[in-house]
Amino acid sequence: MKKYFTVFLVSWQNEFVYRVNFILWRIRNLLRFSMIYFLWAGIFISNRNVFGYNQPQMLTYVFMVFLMGTLILSAPSSDNIGGEIGNGDISNYLVKPVGYLKYWFIRDIASKSLNILFAIVELFLVWLVLKPQLIIPSSPQIIFGFVTAVLIATCLYYLLSCLVRFIAFWTPENTWGLSFLLLVFVETLAGGIFPLNILPSWIYTFLQFTPFPYLVYFPIAIFTEKIAGWELIRILLQSTGWLVLIFWMTKYTWKRGLVVYQAYGR
Amino acid sequence: MNMSVISVKGLSKYYQVHQKEPGLAGSIKSLFNRKYYDVKAVDNVSFEINEGELVGFIGPNGAGKTTTLKTLSGLLYPTKGEVSVLGHTPWKREPAFQKQFALVMGQKNQLWWDLPAMESFILNREIYEVPKARFEETLSELSDLLEVQDLLKVQVRKLSLGERMKMELIAALIHSPKVLFLDEPTIGLDVVAQKKMRDFIKAYNIKYKATIILTSHYMDDVKELCKRIIIIDKGTKLFDGDLDEIVRKFADHKLLSMVLDKELNRRQIEHLSALGGVKEYAYPKLILQVPRENSNKVAAKLLQSYPVADLNIEESALEDIVREVFTGKDVA
Repeated sequence: MKKYFTVFLVSWQNEFVYRVNFILWRIRNLLRFSMIYFLWAGIFISNRNVFGYNQPQMLTYVFMVFLMGTLILSAPSSDNIGGEIGNGDISNYLVKPVGYLKYWFIRDIASKSLNILFAIVELFLVWLVLKPQLIIPSSPQIIFGFVTAVLIATCLYYLLSCLVRFIAFWTPENTWGLSFLLLVFVETLAGGIFPLNILPSWIYTFLQFTPFPYLVYFPIAIFTEKIAGWELIRILLQSTGWLVLIFWMTKYTWKRGLVVYQAYGR
Repeated sequence: MNMSVISVKGLSKYYQVHQKEPGLAGSIKSLFNRKYYDVKAVDNVSFEINEGELVGFIGPNGAGKTTTLKTLSGLLYPTKGEVSVLGHTPWKREPAFQKQFALVMGQKNQLWWDLPAMESFILNREIYEVPKARFEETLSELSDLLEVQDLLKVQVRKLSLGERMKMELIAALIHSPKVLFLDEPTIGLDVVAQKKMRDFIKAYNIKYKATIILTSHYMDDVKELCKRIIIIDKGTKLFDGDLDEIVRKFADHKLLSMVLDKELNRRQIEHLSALGGVKEYAYPKLILQVPRENSNKVAAKLLQSYPVADLNIEESALEDIVREVFTGKDVA
Protein backbone atom coordinates (compact mmCIF):
# COMPACT_ATOMS: atom_id res chain seq x y z
CA MET A 1 0.00 0.00 0.00
CA LYS A 2 2.94 2.25 0.67
CA LYS A 3 3.67 2.51 -3.03
CA TYR A 4 0.37 4.26 -3.63
CA PHE A 5 1.09 6.70 -0.86
CA THR A 6 4.30 7.61 -2.67
CA VAL A 7 2.30 8.06 -5.86
CA PHE A 8 0.15 10.50 -3.91
CA LEU A 9 3.14 12.47 -2.63
CA VAL A 10 4.83 12.66 -6.02
CA SER A 11 1.56 13.76 -7.63
CA TRP A 12 1.27 16.63 -5.18
CA GLN A 13 4.78 17.76 -6.01
CA ASN A 14 3.84 17.62 -9.65
CA GLU A 15 0.77 19.79 -9.06
CA PHE A 16 2.92 22.44 -7.44
CA VAL A 17 5.09 22.74 -10.55
CA TYR A 18 2.27 24.34 -12.50
CA ARG A 19 1.30 27.14 -10.15
CA VAL A 20 -0.03 29.50 -12.81
CA ASN A 21 -1.95 26.73 -14.46
CA PHE A 22 -3.48 25.78 -11.15
CA ILE A 23 -4.54 29.34 -10.34
CA LEU A 24 -6.07 29.82 -13.79
CA TRP A 25 -7.97 26.59 -13.35
CA ARG A 26 -9.34 27.83 -10.03
CA ILE A 27 -10.38 31.12 -11.64
CA ARG A 28 -12.12 29.28 -14.44
CA ASN A 29 -14.10 27.26 -11.90
CA LEU A 30 -15.01 30.32 -9.91
CA LEU A 31 -16.23 32.14 -13.04
CA ARG A 32 -18.37 29.21 -13.98
CA PHE A 33 -19.78 29.11 -10.49
CA SER A 34 -20.58 32.84 -10.52
CA MET A 35 -22.45 32.55 -13.81
CA ILE A 36 -24.73 29.82 -12.53
CA TYR A 37 -25.09 31.49 -9.15
CA PHE A 38 -26.17 34.85 -10.54
CA LEU A 39 -28.44 33.22 -13.07
CA TRP A 40 -30.42 31.50 -10.30
CA ALA A 41 -30.19 34.51 -7.99
CA GLY A 42 -31.70 36.58 -10.82
CA ILE A 43 -34.52 34.12 -11.39
CA PHE A 44 -35.46 34.27 -7.72
CA ILE A 45 -35.78 38.06 -7.74
CA SER A 46 -39.19 37.79 -9.38
CA ASN A 47 -40.13 34.28 -8.26
CA ARG A 48 -40.41 32.84 -4.79
CA ASN A 49 -40.59 29.28 -5.95
CA VAL A 50 -39.11 27.73 -9.09
CA PHE A 51 -39.59 24.04 -9.98
CA GLY A 52 -40.49 23.41 -6.36
CA TYR A 53 -37.25 24.98 -5.09
CA ASN A 54 -37.11 28.09 -2.94
CA GLN A 55 -34.11 30.39 -3.07
CA PRO A 56 -32.03 28.92 -0.20
CA GLN A 57 -32.58 25.40 -1.53
CA MET A 58 -31.51 26.29 -5.06
CA LEU A 59 -28.52 28.38 -4.00
CA THR A 60 -27.38 25.59 -1.71
CA TYR A 61 -27.64 23.28 -4.72
CA VAL A 62 -25.47 25.64 -6.75
CA PHE A 63 -22.88 25.86 -3.97
CA MET A 64 -22.83 22.12 -3.57
CA VAL A 65 -22.54 21.47 -7.30
CA PHE A 66 -19.40 23.58 -7.23
CA LEU A 67 -17.89 21.32 -4.58
CA MET A 68 -19.18 18.13 -6.16
CA GLY A 69 -17.77 19.15 -9.52
CA THR A 70 -14.33 19.38 -7.97
CA LEU A 71 -14.63 16.32 -5.82
CA ILE A 72 -16.63 13.94 -7.96
CA LEU A 73 -17.22 15.08 -11.53
CA SER A 74 -13.64 15.50 -12.55
CA ALA A 75 -10.80 13.32 -13.64
CA PRO A 76 -7.95 15.81 -13.49
CA SER A 77 -5.17 13.29 -14.09
CA SER A 78 -6.82 10.16 -15.36
CA ASP A 79 -7.96 12.26 -18.31
CA ASN A 80 -4.79 10.94 -19.92
CA ILE A 81 -5.79 7.30 -19.87
CA GLY A 82 -7.27 7.34 -23.37
CA GLY A 83 -4.22 9.07 -24.79
CA GLU A 84 -1.85 6.74 -23.02
CA ILE A 85 -3.60 3.74 -24.46
CA GLY A 86 -3.56 5.29 -27.92
CA ASN A 87 0.11 6.21 -28.00
CA GLY A 88 1.37 3.23 -26.04
CA ASP A 89 2.63 5.07 -22.96
CA ILE A 90 0.57 2.73 -20.84
CA SER A 91 3.26 0.12 -21.53
CA ASN A 92 5.41 1.87 -18.95
CA TYR A 93 3.04 0.78 -16.19
CA LEU A 94 2.13 -2.61 -17.56
CA VAL A 95 5.64 -3.92 -17.12
CA LYS A 96 5.76 -2.84 -13.47
CA PRO A 97 4.21 -4.39 -10.39
CA VAL A 98 1.72 -1.55 -10.05
CA GLY A 99 -2.04 -1.48 -10.62
CA TYR A 100 -2.82 0.92 -13.44
CA LEU A 101 -6.34 1.70 -12.27
CA LYS A 102 -5.23 2.21 -8.68
CA TYR A 103 -2.35 4.36 -9.83
CA TRP A 104 -4.54 6.83 -11.70
CA PHE A 105 -7.15 6.81 -8.96
CA ILE A 106 -4.54 7.93 -6.48
CA ARG A 107 -3.27 10.57 -8.86
CA ASP A 108 -6.81 11.90 -9.25
CA ILE A 109 -7.30 11.91 -5.51
CA ALA A 110 -4.07 13.85 -5.06
CA SER A 111 -5.16 16.48 -7.54
CA LYS A 112 -8.72 16.60 -6.22
CA SER A 113 -7.67 16.95 -2.61
CA LEU A 114 -5.62 19.99 -3.48
CA ASN A 115 -8.46 21.47 -5.50
CA ILE A 116 -11.06 20.84 -2.83
CA LEU A 117 -9.00 22.72 -0.26
CA PHE A 118 -8.99 25.72 -2.52
CA ALA A 119 -12.65 25.31 -3.46
CA ILE A 120 -13.72 25.39 0.18
CA VAL A 121 -11.77 28.56 0.82
CA GLU A 122 -13.17 30.17 -2.32
CA LEU A 123 -16.74 29.28 -1.41
CA PHE A 124 -16.25 30.65 2.06
CA LEU A 125 -15.04 33.96 0.60
CA VAL A 126 -17.97 34.10 -1.80
CA TRP A 127 -20.30 33.41 1.07
CA LEU A 128 -18.71 36.21 3.11
CA VAL A 129 -19.28 38.69 0.27
CA LEU A 130 -22.76 37.68 -0.86
CA LYS A 131 -24.14 36.31 2.43
CA PRO A 132 -26.78 34.10 0.75
CA GLN A 133 -29.07 32.03 2.93
CA LEU A 134 -27.94 28.39 2.73
CA ILE A 135 -29.11 25.10 4.15
CA ILE A 136 -26.55 23.51 6.43
CA PRO A 137 -27.38 20.07 7.80
CA SER A 138 -27.14 19.63 11.53
CA SER A 139 -27.73 15.99 12.38
CA PRO A 140 -24.69 13.69 12.41
CA GLN A 141 -26.77 11.05 10.67
CA ILE A 142 -27.20 13.32 7.64
CA ILE A 143 -23.55 14.26 7.57
CA PHE A 144 -22.50 10.63 7.78
CA GLY A 145 -24.92 9.71 4.97
CA PHE A 146 -23.65 12.57 2.85
CA VAL A 147 -19.98 11.69 3.32
CA THR A 148 -20.66 8.05 2.49
CA ALA A 149 -22.61 9.00 -0.63
CA VAL A 150 -19.80 11.30 -1.75
CA LEU A 151 -17.15 8.61 -1.30
CA ILE A 152 -19.17 6.12 -3.29
CA ALA A 153 -19.87 8.73 -5.97
CA THR A 154 -16.18 9.59 -6.28
CA CYS A 155 -15.27 5.97 -6.96
CA LEU A 156 -18.27 5.51 -9.23
CA TYR A 157 -17.37 8.48 -11.42
CA TYR A 158 -13.76 7.37 -11.65
CA LEU A 159 -14.79 3.92 -12.83
CA LEU A 160 -17.31 5.31 -15.31
CA SER A 161 -14.75 7.67 -16.78
CA CYS A 162 -12.21 4.84 -17.06
CA LEU A 163 -14.80 2.72 -18.78
CA VAL A 164 -15.40 5.48 -21.32
CA ARG A 165 -11.69 5.99 -21.90
CA PHE A 166 -11.06 2.30 -22.43
CA ILE A 167 -12.77 2.73 -25.79
CA ALA A 168 -9.25 3.72 -26.86
CA PHE A 169 -8.26 0.06 -26.81
CA TRP A 170 -10.55 -0.52 -29.77
CA THR A 171 -10.37 2.81 -31.57
CA PRO A 172 -7.11 4.43 -30.54
CA GLU A 173 -7.49 7.28 -33.03
CA ASN A 174 -10.50 9.22 -31.88
CA THR A 175 -11.38 8.67 -28.27
CA TRP A 176 -10.83 12.15 -26.95
CA GLY A 177 -13.87 13.67 -28.64
CA LEU A 178 -16.07 10.70 -27.92
CA SER A 179 -15.15 10.43 -24.26
CA PHE A 180 -15.55 14.20 -23.85
CA LEU A 181 -19.05 14.00 -25.29
CA LEU A 182 -20.02 11.00 -23.18
CA LEU A 183 -18.73 12.63 -20.00
CA VAL A 184 -20.70 15.82 -20.70
CA PHE A 185 -23.79 13.61 -20.87
CA VAL A 186 -22.81 11.94 -17.64
CA GLU A 187 -22.35 15.31 -15.96
CA THR A 188 -25.76 16.53 -17.07
CA LEU A 189 -27.59 13.31 -16.18
CA ALA A 190 -25.84 13.26 -12.83
CA GLY A 191 -27.38 16.60 -11.90
CA GLY A 192 -24.16 18.52 -12.33
CA ILE A 193 -25.88 21.37 -14.20
CA PHE A 194 -29.31 21.56 -12.53
CA PRO A 195 -31.25 19.45 -10.02
CA LEU A 196 -32.76 16.46 -11.79
CA ASN A 197 -36.25 16.73 -10.33
CA ILE A 198 -36.94 19.87 -12.34
CA LEU A 199 -37.02 17.62 -15.42
CA PRO A 200 -40.32 16.12 -16.64
CA SER A 201 -41.23 13.43 -14.16
CA TRP A 202 -40.97 10.52 -16.60
CA ILE A 203 -37.35 11.45 -17.37
CA TYR A 204 -36.62 11.86 -13.69
CA THR A 205 -38.13 8.45 -12.95
CA PHE A 206 -36.20 6.88 -15.79
CA LEU A 207 -32.91 8.37 -14.58
CA GLN A 208 -33.35 6.67 -11.23
CA PHE A 209 -32.72 3.38 -12.99
CA THR A 210 -29.30 4.58 -14.15
CA PRO A 211 -26.14 5.09 -12.07
CA PHE A 212 -25.92 8.80 -12.91
CA PRO A 213 -28.09 10.48 -10.21
CA TYR A 214 -25.98 8.78 -7.56
CA LEU A 215 -23.03 10.91 -8.63
CA VAL A 216 -24.28 14.38 -7.72
CA TYR A 217 -28.03 14.66 -7.41
CA PHE A 218 -28.57 12.20 -4.54
CA PRO A 219 -25.55 13.29 -2.47
CA ILE A 220 -26.82 16.88 -2.59
CA ALA A 221 -30.35 15.74 -1.87
CA ILE A 222 -29.02 14.03 1.23
CA PHE A 223 -27.11 17.16 2.22
CA THR A 224 -30.18 19.38 1.83
CA GLU A 225 -32.20 16.87 3.87
CA LYS A 226 -34.56 16.03 1.03
CA ILE A 227 -33.73 12.40 1.65
CA ALA A 228 -33.56 10.94 5.11
CA GLY A 229 -34.32 7.89 7.22
CA TRP A 230 -35.01 4.63 5.41
CA GLU A 231 -34.90 6.30 2.03
CA LEU A 232 -31.38 7.44 2.78
CA ILE A 233 -30.33 3.88 3.51
CA ARG A 234 -32.04 2.63 0.36
CA ILE A 235 -30.20 5.21 -1.75
CA LEU A 236 -26.86 4.30 -0.19
CA LEU A 237 -27.44 0.59 -0.81
CA GLN A 238 -28.46 1.21 -4.39
CA SER A 239 -25.41 3.33 -5.07
CA THR A 240 -23.22 0.60 -3.58
CA GLY A 241 -24.90 -1.82 -5.94
CA TRP A 242 -24.05 0.39 -8.91
CA LEU A 243 -20.51 0.73 -7.66
CA VAL A 244 -20.03 -3.03 -7.54
CA LEU A 245 -21.58 -3.50 -10.96
CA ILE A 246 -19.56 -0.75 -12.65
CA PHE A 247 -16.40 -1.95 -10.92
CA TRP A 248 -16.92 -5.38 -12.37
CA MET A 249 -17.62 -3.96 -15.83
CA THR A 250 -14.52 -1.81 -15.71
CA LYS A 251 -12.33 -4.73 -14.68
CA TYR A 252 -13.81 -6.89 -17.40
CA THR A 253 -13.34 -4.24 -20.09
CA TRP A 254 -9.79 -3.63 -18.89
CA LYS A 255 -8.91 -7.29 -19.26
CA ARG A 256 -10.50 -7.52 -22.69
CA GLY A 257 -8.75 -4.31 -23.71
CA LEU A 258 -5.34 -5.60 -22.74
CA VAL A 259 -5.80 -8.59 -25.01
CA VAL A 260 -6.33 -6.36 -28.04
CA TYR A 261 -3.78 -3.77 -26.90
CA GLN A 262 -1.00 -3.48 -29.44
CA ALA A 263 1.52 -1.36 -27.53
CA TYR A 264 1.78 1.23 -30.27
CA GLY A 265 4.60 3.67 -30.73
CA ARG A 266 7.38 1.36 -31.72
CA MET B 1 25.37 -25.75 -15.88
CA ASN B 2 23.78 -23.39 -18.36
CA MET B 3 20.22 -22.64 -17.43
CA SER B 4 17.91 -21.24 -20.02
CA VAL B 5 16.44 -18.01 -18.73
CA ILE B 6 14.42 -17.15 -21.79
CA SER B 7 12.74 -19.81 -23.82
CA VAL B 8 10.64 -19.07 -26.89
CA LYS B 9 8.93 -21.80 -28.86
CA GLY B 10 7.05 -21.20 -32.08
CA LEU B 11 6.11 -17.64 -31.18
CA SER B 12 3.74 -15.97 -33.62
CA LYS B 13 1.98 -12.64 -33.42
CA TYR B 14 -0.46 -11.59 -36.13
CA TYR B 15 -2.13 -8.22 -36.34
CA GLN B 16 -5.30 -7.37 -38.14
CA VAL B 17 -4.73 -4.20 -40.06
CA HIS B 18 -7.12 -2.35 -42.28
CA GLN B 19 -5.99 -0.79 -45.45
CA LYS B 20 -6.98 2.76 -46.28
CA GLU B 21 -6.79 4.15 -49.77
CA PRO B 22 -5.00 7.49 -49.96
CA GLY B 23 -6.81 10.79 -49.60
CA LEU B 24 -10.04 11.94 -48.02
CA ALA B 25 -12.15 9.83 -50.37
CA GLY B 26 -10.27 6.81 -49.12
CA SER B 27 -10.95 7.82 -45.54
CA ILE B 28 -14.68 8.09 -46.18
CA LYS B 29 -14.71 4.80 -48.01
CA SER B 30 -12.91 3.14 -45.14
CA LEU B 31 -15.68 4.24 -42.77
CA PHE B 32 -18.10 1.94 -44.49
CA ASN B 33 -16.09 -0.78 -46.04
CA ARG B 34 -12.89 -1.84 -44.40
CA LYS B 35 -10.63 -4.43 -45.84
CA TYR B 36 -8.70 -6.26 -43.18
CA TYR B 37 -5.68 -8.40 -43.64
CA ASP B 38 -3.32 -10.22 -41.31
CA VAL B 39 0.15 -8.88 -40.78
CA LYS B 40 2.53 -11.48 -39.49
CA ALA B 41 4.67 -9.36 -37.21
CA VAL B 42 6.34 -12.45 -35.79
CA ASP B 43 5.99 -15.85 -37.38
CA ASN B 44 7.05 -19.06 -35.71
CA VAL B 45 10.18 -17.81 -33.97
CA SER B 46 12.03 -20.01 -31.47
CA PHE B 47 15.17 -19.48 -29.43
CA GLU B 48 16.71 -20.12 -26.03
CA ILE B 49 18.84 -17.69 -24.10
CA ASN B 50 20.97 -18.65 -21.14
CA GLU B 51 21.79 -16.80 -17.98
CA GLY B 52 24.25 -13.97 -18.46
CA GLU B 53 24.09 -13.95 -22.24
CA LEU B 54 24.04 -10.65 -24.09
CA VAL B 55 22.24 -11.26 -27.36
CA GLY B 56 21.89 -8.81 -30.23
CA PHE B 57 18.58 -8.76 -32.00
CA ILE B 58 18.93 -7.32 -35.45
CA GLY B 59 16.69 -6.72 -38.39
CA PRO B 60 15.34 -3.83 -40.45
CA ASN B 61 12.43 -1.66 -39.31
CA GLY B 62 9.27 -3.69 -38.97
CA ALA B 63 11.15 -6.97 -38.81
CA GLY B 64 9.42 -8.02 -35.60
CA LYS B 65 12.16 -7.26 -33.10
CA THR B 66 10.13 -4.92 -30.96
CA THR B 67 7.04 -7.09 -31.17
CA THR B 68 9.09 -10.00 -29.85
CA LEU B 69 10.44 -7.89 -27.00
CA LYS B 70 6.96 -6.65 -26.14
CA THR B 71 5.71 -10.20 -25.97
CA LEU B 72 8.62 -11.21 -23.76
CA SER B 73 7.76 -8.26 -21.51
CA GLY B 74 4.13 -9.27 -21.21
CA LEU B 75 2.71 -6.30 -23.10
CA LEU B 76 1.32 -8.39 -25.90
CA TYR B 77 -0.50 -11.67 -25.98
CA PRO B 78 0.93 -13.93 -28.68
CA THR B 79 -1.25 -15.41 -31.37
CA LYS B 80 0.54 -18.74 -31.02
CA GLY B 81 3.51 -20.21 -29.24
CA GLU B 82 5.04 -20.61 -25.82
CA VAL B 83 7.21 -18.15 -23.98
CA SER B 84 8.89 -18.52 -20.64
CA VAL B 85 11.04 -15.86 -19.01
CA LEU B 86 12.59 -16.74 -15.65
CA GLY B 87 10.05 -19.52 -15.45
CA HIS B 88 7.09 -17.15 -15.82
CA THR B 89 4.62 -16.61 -18.60
CA PRO B 90 5.13 -12.90 -19.30
CA TRP B 91 1.59 -11.87 -20.22
CA LYS B 92 0.25 -13.12 -16.90
CA ARG B 93 2.12 -10.10 -15.49
CA GLU B 94 2.87 -11.63 -12.14
CA PRO B 95 4.59 -9.19 -9.77
CA ALA B 96 7.18 -11.86 -8.98
CA PHE B 97 8.19 -11.77 -12.64
CA GLN B 98 7.90 -8.01 -13.06
CA LYS B 99 10.26 -7.38 -10.17
CA GLN B 100 13.01 -9.24 -11.99
CA PHE B 101 13.04 -7.71 -15.42
CA ALA B 102 13.05 -4.35 -17.14
CA LEU B 103 12.21 -3.08 -20.58
CA VAL B 104 13.97 0.03 -21.83
CA MET B 105 12.69 1.59 -25.00
CA GLY B 106 14.89 4.32 -26.44
CA GLN B 107 11.92 6.39 -27.51
CA LYS B 108 9.63 5.95 -24.55
CA ASN B 109 10.11 7.65 -21.26
CA GLN B 110 8.83 6.84 -17.84
CA LEU B 111 10.40 9.73 -15.93
CA TRP B 112 8.21 12.50 -14.55
CA TRP B 113 8.91 15.33 -16.91
CA ASP B 114 8.43 18.19 -14.47
CA LEU B 115 10.21 16.76 -11.46
CA PRO B 116 13.84 15.83 -10.82
CA ALA B 117 14.68 12.27 -11.85
CA MET B 118 15.24 11.43 -8.20
CA GLU B 119 11.48 11.55 -7.58
CA SER B 120 10.87 8.98 -10.29
CA PHE B 121 13.57 6.78 -8.77
CA ILE B 122 11.93 7.00 -5.36
CA LEU B 123 8.58 6.12 -6.85
CA ASN B 124 10.11 3.10 -8.57
CA ARG B 125 11.78 2.11 -5.32
CA GLU B 126 8.33 1.90 -3.74
CA ILE B 127 6.71 0.23 -6.72
CA TYR B 128 9.37 -2.47 -6.86
CA GLU B 129 9.60 -2.61 -3.06
CA VAL B 130 13.36 -2.19 -3.01
CA PRO B 131 14.78 -1.93 0.52
CA LYS B 132 16.12 1.55 1.24
CA ALA B 133 19.73 0.52 1.84
CA ARG B 134 19.89 -1.46 -1.37
CA PHE B 135 18.28 1.41 -3.23
CA GLU B 136 20.94 3.85 -2.03
CA GLU B 137 23.67 1.43 -2.97
CA THR B 138 22.34 0.69 -6.45
CA LEU B 139 21.65 4.33 -7.12
CA SER B 140 25.12 5.48 -6.19
CA GLU B 141 26.63 2.69 -8.22
CA LEU B 142 24.58 3.39 -11.32
CA SER B 143 24.99 7.14 -11.14
CA ASP B 144 28.75 6.70 -10.73
CA LEU B 145 28.95 4.42 -13.72
CA LEU B 146 26.92 6.83 -15.83
CA GLU B 147 28.47 9.97 -14.31
CA VAL B 148 25.24 11.71 -13.46
CA GLN B 149 25.58 12.22 -9.70
CA ASP B 150 25.15 15.99 -10.07
CA LEU B 151 22.02 15.75 -12.17
CA LEU B 152 19.78 13.72 -9.89
CA LYS B 153 18.06 16.81 -8.52
CA VAL B 154 17.62 18.64 -11.82
CA GLN B 155 14.18 18.79 -13.41
CA VAL B 156 14.04 16.12 -16.11
CA ARG B 157 12.83 18.56 -18.78
CA LYS B 158 16.07 20.52 -18.39
CA LEU B 159 18.33 17.53 -19.12
CA SER B 160 19.83 16.85 -22.52
CA LEU B 161 18.69 13.80 -24.46
CA GLY B 162 21.82 11.88 -23.52
CA GLU B 163 21.48 12.73 -19.84
CA ARG B 164 17.82 11.83 -19.91
CA MET B 165 18.53 8.45 -21.48
CA LYS B 166 20.98 7.75 -18.67
CA MET B 167 18.32 8.65 -16.12
CA GLU B 168 15.83 6.43 -17.91
CA LEU B 169 18.31 3.63 -17.62
CA ILE B 170 18.77 4.20 -13.90
CA ALA B 171 14.99 4.28 -13.40
CA ALA B 172 14.73 0.97 -15.24
CA LEU B 173 17.56 -0.67 -13.32
CA ILE B 174 16.93 0.56 -9.81
CA HIS B 175 15.42 -2.80 -8.88
CA SER B 176 18.47 -4.66 -10.25
CA PRO B 177 16.63 -6.72 -12.84
CA LYS B 178 18.09 -10.07 -13.85
CA VAL B 179 16.65 -9.83 -17.33
CA LEU B 180 16.90 -6.72 -19.41
CA PHE B 181 15.33 -5.90 -22.76
CA LEU B 182 16.94 -2.91 -24.41
CA ASP B 183 15.15 -1.59 -27.45
CA GLU B 184 17.37 0.88 -29.30
CA PRO B 185 19.01 2.23 -26.17
CA THR B 186 21.45 4.41 -28.11
CA ILE B 187 18.99 5.94 -30.56
CA GLY B 188 19.54 9.65 -31.07
CA LEU B 189 22.65 9.79 -28.91
CA ASP B 190 25.90 11.31 -30.07
CA VAL B 191 28.97 9.16 -30.61
CA VAL B 192 30.47 9.83 -27.19
CA ALA B 193 27.23 9.13 -25.38
CA GLN B 194 26.72 5.97 -27.43
CA LYS B 195 30.09 4.72 -26.36
CA LYS B 196 29.31 5.49 -22.72
CA MET B 197 26.04 3.66 -22.95
CA ARG B 198 27.73 0.62 -24.49
CA ASP B 199 30.39 0.52 -21.82
CA PHE B 200 27.69 0.70 -19.22
CA ILE B 201 25.62 -2.12 -20.70
CA LYS B 202 28.70 -4.30 -20.86
CA ALA B 203 29.60 -3.54 -17.26
CA TYR B 204 26.06 -4.20 -16.08
CA ASN B 205 25.98 -7.50 -17.93
CA ILE B 206 29.17 -8.71 -16.27
CA LYS B 207 28.59 -7.30 -12.83
CA TYR B 208 25.04 -8.54 -12.30
CA LYS B 209 25.25 -11.61 -14.56
CA ALA B 210 22.24 -10.09 -16.23
CA THR B 211 20.67 -11.68 -19.26
CA ILE B 212 20.25 -8.99 -21.89
CA ILE B 213 18.57 -8.76 -25.25
CA LEU B 214 19.53 -5.71 -27.24
CA THR B 215 18.08 -4.38 -30.44
CA SER B 216 19.87 -1.69 -32.31
CA HIS B 217 20.32 -0.20 -35.71
CA TYR B 218 23.87 0.71 -34.92
CA MET B 219 26.06 -2.20 -35.85
CA ASP B 220 28.75 -0.78 -33.61
CA ASP B 221 26.51 -1.49 -30.61
CA VAL B 222 26.11 -5.07 -31.68
CA LYS B 223 29.72 -5.61 -32.71
CA GLU B 224 31.03 -4.33 -29.45
CA LEU B 225 28.54 -5.90 -27.09
CA CYS B 226 27.15 -9.12 -28.41
CA LYS B 227 28.84 -12.42 -28.92
CA ARG B 228 25.66 -13.95 -30.22
CA ILE B 229 23.17 -12.44 -32.60
CA ILE B 230 19.71 -13.34 -33.79
CA ILE B 231 18.70 -11.89 -37.12
CA ILE B 232 15.03 -11.61 -37.94
CA ASP B 233 13.29 -10.16 -40.93
CA LYS B 234 9.63 -10.12 -41.92
CA GLY B 235 8.83 -11.91 -38.70
CA THR B 236 10.98 -14.96 -39.24
CA LYS B 237 14.33 -15.89 -37.81
CA LEU B 238 17.09 -15.90 -40.41
CA PHE B 239 20.13 -16.53 -38.31
CA ASP B 240 20.98 -17.42 -34.74
CA GLY B 241 24.58 -17.89 -33.75
CA ASP B 242 27.95 -16.34 -33.10
CA LEU B 243 28.78 -13.00 -34.59
CA ASP B 244 32.12 -14.36 -35.82
CA GLU B 245 30.38 -17.17 -37.57
CA ILE B 246 28.22 -14.87 -39.61
CA VAL B 247 31.22 -12.88 -40.74
CA ARG B 248 33.01 -16.04 -41.79
CA LYS B 249 29.97 -17.43 -43.51
CA PHE B 250 28.81 -14.39 -45.38
CA ALA B 251 31.85 -12.25 -45.83
CA ASP B 252 33.11 -14.20 -48.79
CA HIS B 253 34.14 -10.93 -50.39
CA LYS B 254 36.72 -8.35 -49.60
CA LEU B 255 36.71 -4.73 -50.50
CA LEU B 256 39.50 -3.05 -52.44
CA SER B 257 39.33 0.60 -51.73
CA MET B 258 41.49 2.89 -53.87
CA VAL B 259 42.39 6.47 -54.43
CA LEU B 260 43.10 7.22 -58.08
CA ASP B 261 45.54 9.60 -59.72
CA LYS B 262 43.60 10.11 -62.87
CA GLU B 263 40.04 9.64 -64.04
CA LEU B 264 39.49 6.30 -65.72
CA ASN B 265 38.86 6.13 -69.43
CA ARG B 266 36.02 4.23 -70.94
CA ARG B 267 38.00 1.10 -71.72
CA GLN B 268 39.32 0.90 -68.18
CA ILE B 269 35.84 1.27 -66.72
CA GLU B 270 34.50 -1.50 -68.92
CA HIS B 271 37.36 -3.71 -67.96
CA LEU B 272 36.73 -3.19 -64.22
CA SER B 273 33.70 -5.44 -64.19
CA ALA B 274 35.87 -8.34 -65.21
CA LEU B 275 37.91 -7.83 -62.04
CA GLY B 276 35.09 -7.44 -59.53
CA GLY B 277 31.91 -5.62 -58.67
CA VAL B 278 32.12 -1.83 -58.60
CA LYS B 279 30.68 -0.76 -55.28
CA GLU B 280 31.43 2.87 -55.60
CA TYR B 281 33.12 5.07 -58.15
CA ALA B 282 33.33 8.76 -57.55
CA TYR B 283 36.66 10.10 -58.70
CA PRO B 284 39.15 9.92 -57.05
CA LYS B 285 37.57 7.16 -54.97
CA LEU B 286 36.95 3.65 -56.23
CA ILE B 287 35.73 0.64 -54.26
CA LEU B 288 35.69 -2.83 -55.78
CA GLN B 289 34.19 -5.92 -54.24
CA VAL B 290 36.11 -9.08 -55.09
CA PRO B 291 35.91 -12.71 -54.01
CA ARG B 292 38.06 -13.34 -50.95
CA GLU B 293 40.43 -15.77 -52.68
CA ASN B 294 41.08 -13.44 -55.63
CA SER B 295 41.73 -10.31 -53.67
CA ASN B 296 45.54 -10.36 -53.85
CA LYS B 297 45.65 -11.17 -57.53
CA VAL B 298 43.18 -8.45 -58.41
CA ALA B 299 45.01 -5.95 -56.25
CA ALA B 300 48.26 -6.67 -58.07
CA LYS B 301 46.61 -6.25 -61.41
CA LEU B 302 45.02 -2.96 -60.43
CA LEU B 303 48.30 -1.56 -59.22
CA GLN B 304 49.90 -2.57 -62.50
CA SER B 305 47.45 -1.29 -65.07
CA TYR B 306 45.39 1.40 -63.31
CA PRO B 307 46.37 4.86 -62.08
CA VAL B 308 46.18 3.86 -58.43
CA ALA B 309 47.73 6.18 -55.87
CA ASP B 310 46.68 4.20 -52.81
CA LEU B 311 45.04 0.83 -52.22
CA ASN B 312 43.56 -0.88 -49.16
CA ILE B 313 42.17 -4.37 -48.74
CA GLU B 314 39.28 -4.39 -46.24
CA GLU B 315 36.75 -6.77 -44.75
CA SER B 316 33.14 -6.05 -45.64
CA ALA B 317 31.36 -3.97 -43.05
CA LEU B 318 28.98 -5.80 -40.77
CA GLU B 319 26.17 -3.64 -42.12
CA ASP B 320 26.78 -5.03 -45.60
CA ILE B 321 26.94 -8.58 -44.39
CA VAL B 322 23.68 -8.21 -42.58
CA ARG B 323 22.11 -6.54 -45.58
CA GLU B 324 23.16 -9.50 -47.68
CA VAL B 325 21.46 -11.79 -45.22
CA PHE B 326 18.28 -9.75 -45.54
CA THR B 327 18.30 -9.65 -49.29
CA GLY B 328 17.73 -13.33 -49.42
CA LYS B 329 20.93 -15.28 -49.36
CA ASP B 330 20.21 -18.74 -48.12
CA VAL B 331 21.14 -18.81 -44.50
CA ALA B 332 20.21 -22.12 -43.01
